[in-house]
Amino acid sequence: MTTTASAFDVSPELKRDLQRVFTPALGAGILLSIASIVGAIYSPGDFFHSYLMGYLFWLGLTLGCMGILMLQYLTAGAWGIMTRRTLESASRTLPLCALLFIPVAIGMPWLYDWAHPDLVKNIYVLRHRAVYMNPSMYIGRAVLYFVVWGIVMYFLNKWSLEQDEKGGMEKRLAKLSAPGLLIYVFTISYATIDWAESLENNWFSTIWGFLFVAREGLAAFAFVIIVMALLSRREPLASRFKPAHLHDLGKLLLVFVMLWAYFEFSQLVVIWSGNLTDEIPWYLHRFATSWGWLGVMLIVLEFIVPFLMLLSRPLKRNATALCCVVGLIIFMRWVDLMWIVMPQYYQRGFRLTWMNIVVPASIGCLWIAVFVWQLQKRPLLPLLAPNLEKALEHGE
Amino acid sequence: MADLASVIREECNPPMLSRDMSYHDITDQISSVTEWKKTPKQWWILITITSSLLLLLLAMLTYLVSTGIGVWGNNSPAGWAWDITNFVWWIGIGHAGTLISAILFLLRQKWRTAINRAAEAMTIFAVACAAIFPLFHTGRPWRAVYWLFPIPNTYLHMWQNYRSPLEWDVFAVSTYGTVSILFWYTGLIPDLATLRDRSPNGLRKVMYGIFSLGWRGSSTHWKHYEKAYMILAGISTPLVLSVHTIVSFDFAVSVIPGWHTTVFPPYFVGGAIFSGFAMVMTLLLLSRWALHLENIITMRHLEVMNKVILATSMIVGYSYGTEFFIAWYSGDIYERFHFFNRITGPYWWAWWTMCICNVVIPQFFWVKKMRRNIAVMFIISITTNIGMWFERFVIIVLSLHRDFLPSSWGYFRPTWVDVCTYLGTFGLFLTLYLLFVKFLPMIAIGEVKSTLSAQNHVEHVYAHYLETYEGAETKETHGLA
Amino acid sequence: MALLNERDTVDNGLYGAVGEFEDEDRLFDAIERVRHKGYSKLEAYTPFALHGLDEALGSKPSKLGWFVLCCGTLGATAAATFIWWSGAIDYPIVVGGKPLFAFTFSIPIMFELMILFSAFGSLYGMLGINRLPRFYHPIFNYTNSERITDDSFVLAIESEDPQFDADECVRVLEEAGARYAEVVAK
Repeated sequence: MTTTASAFDVSPELKRDLQRVFTPALGAGILLSIASIVGAIYSPGDFFHSYLMGYLFWLGLTLGCMGILMLQYLTAGAWGIMTRRTLESASRTLPLCALLFIPVAIGMPWLYDWAHPDLVKNIYVLRHRAVYMNPSMYIGRAVLYFVVWGIVMYFLNKWSLEQDEKGGMEKRLAKLSAPGLLIYVFTISYATIDWAESLENNWFSTIWGFLFVAREGLAAFAFVIIVMALLSRREPLASRFKPAHLHDLGKLLLVFVMLWAYFEFSQLVVIWSGNLTDEIPWYLHRFATSWGWLGVMLIVLEFIVPFLMLLSRPLKRNATALCCVVGLIIFMRWVDLMWIVMPQYYQRGFRLTWMNIVVPASIGCLWIAVFVWQLQKRPLLPLLAPNLEKALEHGE
Repeated sequence: MADLASVIREECNPPMLSRDMSYHDITDQISSVTEWKKTPKQWWILITITSSLLLLLLAMLTYLVSTGIGVWGNNSPAGWAWDITNFVWWIGIGHAGTLISAILFLLRQKWRTAINRAAEAMTIFAVACAAIFPLFHTGRPWRAVYWLFPIPNTYLHMWQNYRSPLEWDVFAVSTYGTVSILFWYTGLIPDLATLRDRSPNGLRKVMYGIFSLGWRGSSTHWKHYEKAYMILAGISTPLVLSVHTIVSFDFAVSVIPGWHTTVFPPYFVGGAIFSGFAMVMTLLLLSRWALHLENIITMRHLEVMNKVILATSMIVGYSYGTEFFIAWYSGDIYERFHFFNRITGPYWWAWWTMCICNVVIPQFFWVKKMRRNIAVMFIISITTNIGMWFERFVIIVLSLHRDFLPSSWGYFRPTWVDVCTYLGTFGLFLTLYLLFVKFLPMIAIGEVKSTLSAQNHVEHVYAHYLETYEGAETKETHGLA
Repeated sequence: MALLNERDTVDNGLYGAVGEFEDEDRLFDAIERVRHKGYSKLEAYTPFALHGLDEALGSKPSKLGWFVLCCGTLGATAAATFIWWSGAIDYPIVVGGKPLFAFTFSIPIMFELMILFSAFGSLYGMLGINRLPRFYHPIFNYTNSERITDDSFVLAIESEDPQFDADECVRVLEEAGARYAEVVAK
């Protein structure tokens, strides 16, 4: 048993490679954070909007990976076995994300109109929802969400580790994943109503929760593919992660691309056709100004181009080519969050400041450092997962 | 070690089919239903009942066309009522068929083979039932062809309004019906060839011969066939989503409180799968019992379906909740009034029926014992369809019956023609289903065989592992140790 | 005779040697052996699609996908063009304050027609490539041909094979494990 266990451990070469990522990421994270703090003093509005954008991006990866982790326990496909450890490591960045929520809480007055008592007094809709949408409730709910996610994350990881030692935990993990996924969708919906939907006073969309689940799922899936492609250059995955596995991941990515586009289109067509004065401003800020170019970019580069490319079978089986598409999608996820968060602040039109890049990057470097550190902690394949043999055979 | 391997085998691969079946047994068992020497009495009794209902439908439609659509209860402010409720309900039921076939095929879920053929047939019949309502709501269906489709003519001198979701719906539903038939027929070709080869010379052989197009099962045939089938499954999946999405646009694209909400597309799709799976379950349990298909439609199939029912029940439950929350959150007085009116207005009973049937009752399926209990799943499959009918009723009638101004408030009551037309569509649906069971293989013979083949293969692999481990425990192997 | 495909007409009047196997494993095994002997014009007949059979027989993957892609593109383009022409050119009338043409409202029908055209493309494309419907084929002359769609796995060495020799081929098939083999006429 021990001999085979070590077969899936992070190999010395891979460990060296991961260290080469870890140290610079941590260093850059600290330096960029200092720069961001300087920026925060110099222009808090820019800082907090950039921060929220970056935070939603990286938290999206953490939560998206956690959601996919639960999904793979329920569907029990080969792709899930192969990616499980990457997903778990990403989910273990949750404590960092919880810590990084503090600046968002501090930034409330710069981000949200409802955090200003005088505005709440004068604007009907804010007054109406003040019982729910006020600073203390906002923080209280955030704490609740993180506690819930933390509990789910803790057991997903704990039981998976126990599975490595003595096996037989698969059913229990699946049993946790079913209600876990339900809680996940529910909490993400309400958390993103708080954090992103409430940026604009007259904006409410019932698909928002599903939309964020799809956005996070897409980003997380793209991220997983990149990580798997990089890991498969070295042992233990070099000899085990095959084009057939990559192909499956590529197909699932295509599904996420379509799902995301479908939700976005649904929201757009309903609001566009209704053209109601208390809903349409959100789209006017994002399509009727120079921000509209970003909107067009999203349609072309996050949907049409990846969709057409992912139809190709050879592309899905080629790590380098697939990673190009995946890289584009990740970049567009960042553009999308910018398009969601920023127009409310830069209402006149498109603007890009150094903080829009540096602040999300500072969060990102820290996130990656933690992720890489966590990745080294466990064997890269779940040793006693019942479908492991089948999953490996699938690649042959 | 050997124990562990066998435990693992049971855990991840409980056999779908009985281990002692042969390919020939499968052919025999499934084809024999279509080859009854003497059609059983029960079939004749059932078809007598269902075709009487079908006659009722024809009578109602004749009455409607000869009198006018005033014979239905629809009237201002509720211009849409039972007709559109029934339309959405039937379309939704149809969706499960395509989903079972297409999505589960793409996900390589082998359990679908037991039920996909019957489910696809159900789709086609459900779409036929659904199409009746909007078509006859026009009052003059034979002229409606020119209003609905862009056929050049000298009678209207104009084109359709493509900005209207109702026009999108015309294309969605007709495409859906057509593609479902093509998909179904593609799946049938090899099985029709099986029936051809089993039939004695005569009319049966000629008919099956013609419709199987000379299929001979060569590897070239299979190669292109598999590709075509995969593409059809691949395009059917987004098609299903698009159809119910467009149905939801019929409502959501307007600005009526209760209709104009962005969650409608996924919510409608979820609801469609929910009710469709429930309907498949009802029919499956009946066929399984009547035709003794217990060894092909196993408890495991049923349990997986119940899990899907539970999951989709959560989607509709989530949507009900979110709609309420956002209506409140938006601060819009019309939205708030509408949702208040749903729970406490004159139709409160419809809303509560919907909630209990769709959200509360399916919660039993969290318990494994309930998921594997035939009586429980039969009851829940029925209550789900009742609940989903009420959901459409709530959305349509409750949003319309109290307009923005209290002067245009009203109360919709169905007429006896409404009720009989709806009952009549069951006659159409079930008659077609019975004919299908009688003349076509209700289970995909070829696919069940390939499931059996894969199952045997897995058994071999594990048998091999067992031998290896019993022989040399210390031998180092990759992967599972 | 009119239904006979000219391509299959070879002077010896034979379709080929046909052997029948008990299950798919034996069939795969036999294909490997027969190909090893240098035969290339092989065709297998099976009751269901066998994974990996094409690779075993050395035939190329289906190109049907490209044809369907063209059909789909045609459908979407046709829909967009027609909606634009009929709504903005031939019969321009403003309804509900909406523009005469926009992709926002064209996409649903574009999508539907894309799917419809692709579906027709894949069924008719498949039938076209397979040259179906075709009600006569020499394999139907094989004694046990009706069992192909039931439970027997059949391998044929076609007479077009350069190495083809009827008796020799029957022997090869029997050696490869066929439970029964015979020569089949056209």
